[in-house]
Amino acid sequence: MRLKLHWAPTSPYVRKVMVAAHELGLADRFDLVPTTPERVVADVGSVNPLGQIPTLVLPDGSAIFDSLVIVEYLDDLAGGTLVPRAGPERWPVLTLHALGHGVIDAANRRVNELRRPAAEISQRLLELKRAEIGRALDRLERTPLDAARVDVAAIAIAVALGYLDYRFPGEAWRHGRAALAEWYRRFSDRPSMRATIPPA
Amino acid sequence: MKLFHAPLSPFVRKVRIAAMELGLNDRIELVPITSSPVAMNAELTKVNPLGKLPALVTDDGELLFDSAVIVEYLDSLAGGGKIVPAKGPERWRAKCMEALADGLCDAAILTRYEMALRPADKLWPEWVAGQKQKVTQSLDALEGQSWLFDDKFDCGRIAVACALGYLDIRFADLGWRKRCETLARWYAGVAKRPSVDATKPPPS
Repeated sequence: MRLKLHWAPTSPYVRKVMVAAHELGLADRFDLVPTTPERVVADVGSVNPLGQIPTLVLPDGSAIFDSLVIVEYLDDLAGGTLVPRAGPERWPVLTLHALGHGVIDAANRRVNELRRPAAEISQRLLELKRAEIGRALDRLERTPLDAARVDVAAIAIAVALGYLDYRFPGEAWRHGRAALAEWYRRFSDRPSMRATIPPA
Repeated sequence: MKLFHAPLSPFVRKVRIAAMELGLNDRIELVPITSSPVAMNAELTKVNPLGKLPALVTDDGELLFDSAVIVEYLDSLAGGGKIVPAKGPERWRAKCMEALADGLCDAAILTRYEMALRPADKLWPEWVAGQKQKVTQSLDALEGQSWLFDDKFDCGRIAVACALGYLDIRFADLGWRKRCETLARWYAGVAKRPSVDATKPPPS
């Protein structure tokens, strides 16, 4: 079964899905359809009215989104273990995923804000989002993470940290967060992470 | 269980409707929170560092967020597969519908903050127009989903009801009922459900 994925190489939301697909051995099933921030609403709007990527389109034409739903769909398709199906393991993984995803959202808000004409940029919003990211990373620093464990939460957190490095390379998020930094160093060495590094 | 709560949040409302539909309402204690994206509530950020509602603390002291996760957790407490289909095409349809309705709310909320909380000289009209386009495109897509309008009330339909209720209190001038007549008829029926009626946001 071929799967069509609306895609861009620098989107952290897309990268989450691509890392999951590599981990599940499904990456070669994708037909990637590239888009850009300027074209995404026109390119994707007919299947996903939010005009967002990633959007997965199945052979019958039905669309799957957002990124978490896509990862769960792929996990189900491959019989994987990225999202625990039921039981007490499911809820902490999904909550930790929401925390990692929230860091991506906050970083993305900063990136979008900085794309505005200079006079319209709100320093206050940038500060609020920077503080939100800081609090989330402090929580992650105190959360025991096992670099050998691969699930949707670990993928979201690693992609979020990679996105911070990519968009805000001057910011020392590792400072005072040695455990998180060491976890990320090991996790980002995985082939799935290496295969999905955004272009410089 | 403790649910961090604000009466106007469409995402909190999803959880409250789910709890009532599942017969779990009397197990939930509401913890009122006053917060906005520009004035974070320290009590809330201690629980959820992202400062977002809803957040749930279970009877075992476990912290859960966001709203989709909490809704599924409540469904599992009620035996599973009640308002979140357990598998197959029905599951993906409900989850995508929920993502669409949540995305519609996100776009509406972003528009509101852009207009209400930014100084006038920092407004970006093109950006506001882009968010509004997401809202209207999503409404048009919902209007075309004939399967939405049957008797089932799952997590996708709950999210749609909350999104429409949010448009009513914050974007009344959008006039979505004129644009989407079938959706409006469906919503008029859904609004009579005790869970939807009991969680109606107070007039702002």
